[in-house]
Amino acid sequence: MTAKATAAKVTSRAADLAVSGLTKVFGTTIAVDGITLRIASGELVALLGPSGCGKTTTLRMIAGLVEPTEGDVLIGGLRVTRTPVHRRNIGMLFQNYALFPHLSVAENVAFGLEMRGVSKAAIRPKVAAALALVQLGSFADRLPAALSGGQQQRVALARAIVIEPALLLLDEPLGALDRNLRESMQVEIRQIQKRLGITAVLVTHDQEEALTMADRVVIMNGGRLEQVGTPEEIYSRPRTRFVASFIGASNFLHGRVIGHDGSGLRIALTGGGEACMSHSDGETKEVLISVRPEAVSLAALEERAQHGGSGLPATVQQVVYRGQATHVHMTLDDGAPLLAFLPNRQGEKAKEDFSPGNRVWASWPSSSNWPVADG
Amino acid sequence: MTASALPTTDMPTRFAPPRLLVGVAMLLPALGFLLAFLVLPSVILLSYSVLSQPQSGDIGLPFTASSYQRLISSPAYRHVAMTTLRVALFTSLFTSLLAYPLAMAIAYGRPLFSRITMSLVVLPLVVSVVVRTYGWQLVLGNSGTGVLNWLLHVLGAGTAPVQVMFTEWAIVIASVHVFLPLMVLPLAASLARIEPSLNEAARVLGAPAWRAFVRITLPLSVPGLIAGLTIVFSLTAASYVTPQMVGGSRGLMLGVLLEQQINTSFDWPMGAAIAAVMVGIALGATAGVEWLVGRRAAARLRRSGAR
Ligand SMILES: Nc1ncnc2c1ncn2[C@@H]1O[C@H](COP(=O)(O)OP(=O)(O)OP(=O)(O)O)[C@@H](O)[C@H]1O
Ligand SMILES: [Mg+2]
Repeated sequence: MTAKATAAKVTSRAADLAVSGLTKVFGTTIAVDGITLRIASGELVALLGPSGCGKTTTLRMIAGLVEPTEGDVLIGGLRVTRTPVHRRNIGMLFQNYALFPHLSVAENVAFGLEMRGVSKAAIRPKVAAALALVQLGSFADRLPAALSGGQQQRVALARAIVIEPALLLLDEPLGALDRNLRESMQVEIRQIQKRLGITAVLVTHDQEEALTMADRVVIMNGGRLEQVGTPEEIYSRPRTRFVASFIGASNFLHGRVIGHDGSGLRIALTGGGEACMSHSDGETKEVLISVRPEAVSLAALEERAQHGGSGLPATVQQVVYRGQATHVHMTLDDGAPLLAFLPNRQGEKAKEDFSPGNRVWASWPSSSNWPVADG
Repeated sequence: MTASALPTTDMPTRFAPPRLLVGVAMLLPALGFLLAFLVLPSVILLSYSVLSQPQSGDIGLPFTASSYQRLISSPAYRHVAMTTLRVALFTSLFTSLLAYPLAMAIAYGRPLFSRITMSLVVLPLVVSVVVRTYGWQLVLGNSGTGVLNWLLHVLGAGTAPVQVMFTEWAIVIASVHVFLPLMVLPLAASLARIEPSLNEAARVLGAPAWRAFVRITLPLSVPGLIAGLTIVFSLTAASYVTPQMVGGSRGLMLGVLLEQQINTSFDWPMGAAIAAVMVGIALGATAGVEWLVGRRAAARLRRSGAR
């Protein structure tokens, strides 16, 4: 192959995506319940949620593999709801890779171009460029069966992007890979997606994957959107109890607003103790507060005076050493659970001063109090 | 030397007969049956084809190739052999064309639909071949009273009655009907093994449904097609009842000829030679198909190796 032929570049013709009121009913199950969402050109959005919440169904409706019961899909401002799947110009990665087993790596990558009537002469350099992009240039003549899982998914990625899709859809693309490979593939896919500026929708039920890869995360529950936001927004400002508990771990404390002071609301916690909260949540008397376990620090009960902010007494139930942190499971006086993650540093002795049965004072900065809807 | 620090005690062992012996023992009844009732009679029959049968009728030495010589040199016999091959070929072809839609309905249809289709395909197997072929005699009858000709007449195709009965075509039509399930079943099994996501991937990549079928589904269903073709071709080439009942003298096939040689002419060596040719055709079909596919698979394998 000449140097000129290999100089082809993989480019993209990314478009923005909008879905409005997207609904799918299977018999009596409402799999997806009126989802409305806009995704900007070049953005990677992750659909995250528990099993069966309708992520795959949503993605397949966008692709055109499932016909929506109601609602519309717009790609680049064009309504494609009734456009057949093969004319939507979409790239898609499947959990099981879905490489054509009887075609070589190069033939797999060439498939979409062939379907578009691209000439053989034009296909070759494009395929070479796409394979080079996923670092599989030397594997062009192999059959998929002779590749590892990670390599297969990279071929699938090359096959999906070589057609310069308006949209890249990924349905748990890394679900079948082991942890280390998954992490490096997350970075690789993200880099390629950013470099080419492809609009992408990633379905996953792995929260770390969503937080690592996505510009914005969409939390779904029971076929509905629970919250949409940047990873930082979703993690530190969850709107509902569901979101707070689904992304990372969280403590939930019930309390009553008992007054105002200079810094904000003063709240009496049901489990004893007090909390201050600067975020005012309207006029609600009863509040539900989410506190991340890593914000909680522990002290002997007698030292409670030295710890400002919010706090309450608790009884240690179990101490679990987890490497980077020690997890302390406690119960509050009203029986509710409380969890603290105490960081461990190399060279320091693990936290031994808290053992089951101990009474401790659990406290956290008031800025860590975050009100959530009890959903 | 550190390993010896561990106290070692062997697990108590029971007497276990060698696995090979157990395997052979379990195969023995079936092997014995096949030997006594298949291999032995076949060898005896096939040996007749190279023995001589004098006027007295007792088959015996000396060895001779005269039956085969007659078979090859006689245009009439060659014609029958060609008819047999042609009928088997067309039957295989039409069966596979009809079988694909049915097999796809079974493999991809909703569970209830799939099961109903499956039953409809398999159900005819419970009716005897003889009965089914009588049915075709009624349908294809050459006079105006045959169902087909009556229908053509009623529909106003005002021509002379078509003469299908007692031709090769009558055998092909009836054989397609008889052997269809044997093509549909392996094909459906093969289709069901194809990952549905492959077809979806092809569609998303821009393939209309028919191109996804041609490029993905069809090649991946080849194992089932091969199995079906081998079965249908061999069985059609070896069939007796159907050509006997609807083939007539123009649709004479090897099976019928064989029966005539033995029951009418009492020419056992000739019958045995025909039987040998029929076995050859069946083996040839299997080997030919194997060779065609095996060659492609080998080429694939070579290409898939690292280089
Ligand atoms: N073809 C179908 N027929 C009937 N019900 C379906 C079909 N596909 C999905 N469902 C139902 O729709 C709901 C949503 O399914 P979906 O596959 O979209 O979930 P998901 O969020 O992708 O889950 P997971 O994380 O397990 O993949 C589930 O209750 C599922 O049982
Ligand atoms: Mg799913």
